[in-house]
Amino acid sequence: MNRVHITKLILWMITGFAVAVGITRFLYGLGATTNLTDATPWGLWIGFDVMAGVALAGGGFVITAIVYIMRREEFHPIVKPAVLTAFLGYLAVIASLLVDLGLPWNIWHMMVFWNPHSPLFEVGWCVMLYTTVLLLEFSPVPLEKVSRYAKIRNFLLKFRFPLVMLGIMLSTLHQSSLGSLFLIMPFKLYPLWYSNILPIQFFISAVALGLMMVALESLVSSYLYRRPAEYHLIAKLGKTVVWVLLIYFIIKMTDIVISDKQELLFNGSWESILFITEILIAIIIPMIIFSTRRFRNNPAGQWIGSILVVSGMVFNRINVGGLTMLRATGDSYFPSWMELSVSAGVISAAILIFLFAIEKFHVWETPPRDPEAEPHKLPRFDTASQTWLGIPAVAGRTKYTLIFILSFALGLALIPSPNIRSRGISLAPVAPARGGDTLFIDGNRDLYGVSFNHIRHIEQNGNKKSCIICHHMNIPLDKQSGCYHCHRMMYESYDAFGHEWHSHKSGANLACGKCHLEGQEKNAISAKKCDQCHIDLIPPGALITIEQYNAPAYVDAMHILCVKCHREKVPSLPEKPNLARCTACHESIPPDYLKDTEGNHNVNTKNNRPYFNRVMLPGLK
Amino acid sequence: MKAILTDITKCIGCLECVSACKSVNSLEMDVPRIWQKNDGLSADNWTSIIQKPGPHYIRKQCRHCLEPACASACPVGALSRTEEGAVVYDSGKCLGCRYCMMACPYGIPRYDWDKAIPYIRKCILCHPRILQGKQPACTEVCPVQATIFGNRDELLAEAHRRINENPNKYINKVFGETEIGGVSVLYISDIDLGFLAYKQELGSLPLPKTTSAAMKSVPFAFVGMGAFMYGLNWVIKRREKLGDKDKPNEDNKHE
Repeated sequence: MNRVHITKLILWMITGFAVAVGITRFLYGLGATTNLTDATPWGLWIGFDVMAGVALAGGGFVITAIVYIMRREEFHPIVKPAVLTAFLGYLAVIASLLVDLGLPWNIWHMMVFWNPHSPLFEVGWCVMLYTTVLLLEFSPVPLEKVSRYAKIRNFLLKFRFPLVMLGIMLSTLHQSSLGSLFLIMPFKLYPLWYSNILPIQFFISAVALGLMMVALESLVSSYLYRRPAEYHLIAKLGKTVVWVLLIYFIIKMTDIVISDKQELLFNGSWESILFITEILIAIIIPMIIFSTRRFRNNPAGQWIGSILVVSGMVFNRINVGGLTMLRATGDSYFPSWMELSVSAGVISAAILIFLFAIEKFHVWETPPRDPEAEPHKLPRFDTASQTWLGIPAVAGRTKYTLIFILSFALGLALIPSPNIRSRGISLAPVAPARGGDTLFIDGNRDLYGVSFNHIRHIEQNGNKKSCIICHHMNIPLDKQSGCYHCHRMMYESYDAFGHEWHSHKSGANLACGKCHLEGQEKNAISAKKCDQCHIDLIPPGALITIEQYNAPAYVDAMHILCVKCHREKVPSLPEKPNLARCTACHESIPPDYLKDTEGNHNVNTKNNRPYFNRVMLPGLK
Repeated sequence: MKAILTDITKCIGCLECVSACKSVNSLEMDVPRIWQKNDGLSADNWTSIIQKPGPHYIRKQCRHCLEPACASACPVGALSRTEEGAVVYDSGKCLGCRYCMMACPYGIPRYDWDKAIPYIRKCILCHPRILQGKQPACTEVCPVQATIFGNRDELLAEAHRRINENPNKYINKVFGETEIGGVSVLYISDIDLGFLAYKQELGSLPLPKTTSAAMKSVPFAFVGMGAFMYGLNWVIKRREKLGDKDKPNEDNKHE
């Protein structure tokens, strides 16, 4: 095991985990896997993967511009890795976008149904085209391996300059258009980030980020493969980035001063702290590092400087991409672990492809060798298991496959079952009704309940005989069992049948054959229905019916029973036109006993909910 | 151009509009979900009644902007504004990017977060019913005519007439007359309705205008960048040629 193998093992593990989560997302929807809400419809996958991913892949167009347009030949050694990273970066962006889109199989609609007013339409087209351009720019490298394709390769190389030009032009457009996306949200995006020149800011910061991304790639791969990095080139990139950052800083600050937002900078809100942090790590500290000769030429300085710029600019994209909108939307959002693992998995997969490419193809001047891949070593025979272990390189593959499958299984096992079962409903166990003669029925315990006049219902339905209209009255020892005894969940049906009790010796002690007939599969569908044994389960005259072993959700049980009866009563009671309306039961105003001493309805201060009526009626026909 | 005028002082909060909306648009029962905003709107509730102390009942629904931000944001044009004034949704075009939800200043569009095949859900001003010559379900059932349907100019005139008749009762403003270029769902009220949007005062600039400048400059940026890069390359090549005769020193220019 060496650095490369350990890194690859970890990357395969994360990828396997993410694949499991990704499958869950497509089977059960975004709600089951993400923490996105109606107020925060874009989360980590857009704010980080797409927004930051495109910016991180900006190294491709920056370095091709330096080498092929400005003809700085000394940077040629880092062109191929930069183009490869950009290509993989865009693939990662597209992959995360496909996970994030609600209907990803419709992505081709962008090509057919045009809306040129939309910045997203523009970004979509540019990303599609630029990914193709990057593929064409990079494909001479793998094609080099196969002499058969020499013609195609030479053909592509002939078009290198126009391709590079096209790549730069497309990058300019969509790097800036990613900023234009947010121009339409002046009321949501915090003023420190909202600016009419957001597209220009995005473009300049993408150039700075691209330069530093190229530097960081060189440093990381030199660490992994124990080869010398291009330190002198990184120092030159560092010199350039100081100027780009300076321009970015001046533009950003001038914009803030011109639009008179400077007092927001130091008002101590968490946005101002975010902004100052962002400026410090993305601009100020890297500028100090790279403008000092001693730090610039020092590997440690280069590491710190490039990491700061990269993380600072990613931070900027996250801030614009949604983090600083939370104040306006009043929402709270933190990505779920499933969102985080998909993001990590997409990046890991991209890095794995990168490592594969640099080991197989002539991406670097001196291609790195996998230290464990020694083809002259013979396969080993394991006497214990009577199998060939394969040469060490193959053993590596076995390890990766194993860890992939294991983490995939772990991922599947960790998916929270309530998320899938209830598809994102927060489980709401029912609370018993409170009160006496007037019951305050608040099943889901949010203090928005129903005032139910029990006494009046008894009187109007024929006193003692009327109980069976609503109550089952047949559970063993049943005297005044509340609805919540069986209808235990507010929004989900609940299995009211106690199989354990029916079959157990200390319970009903019934033989299997009592309910499950001979020769039939033993399941709930083929078994005897409840009312075949409990003949009094539905009392005569009751409005309730029994079809399944499941007790319907509390809300369904109440609605079916109350609305049904009220509707039947309406024609005979012309003086009560509101009887079958929602407000007949759901009070618009919380009851008096929820008032505070000053007479205000002081309900639900915990959730800070405004007053509104939750209508939970199924579509009235 | 059709519109809805809601008079907050008349609404009694009976929720008839909500249930009519549900039955006409065959919406499912609304179950509180963790992703819902607390204004009562959801993928299955296209209109809701927000209660404010007083009591005031404010019916929230899509405002059907004259220049809708959602329609300008949608990359495939799945959301569009019809001649009648309704902003309608074509689920066959949608890709599920949810940019419309981000763009809407009122936070109206909702999403089927629980579905494996999710769509955007919002009030469509009962557009199919308007085409049949009927009025939207909500205005039809309102027992006190607190919310009425009609031509936008006539409703605006009616709104101003009511305000002028009772200047002490109403705030002297038709909510939605001019904000973000005007909307088709108007309110007159005795309390401020700024809370319906993400900001108290939205201004009169239509939101599609905010991106149109940037979008118009796209072709120029594209060609301009190309020309600049080509020119730069030409200059550098030429200097290299000349430099061969003199001294090759322009290497330090960019450092």
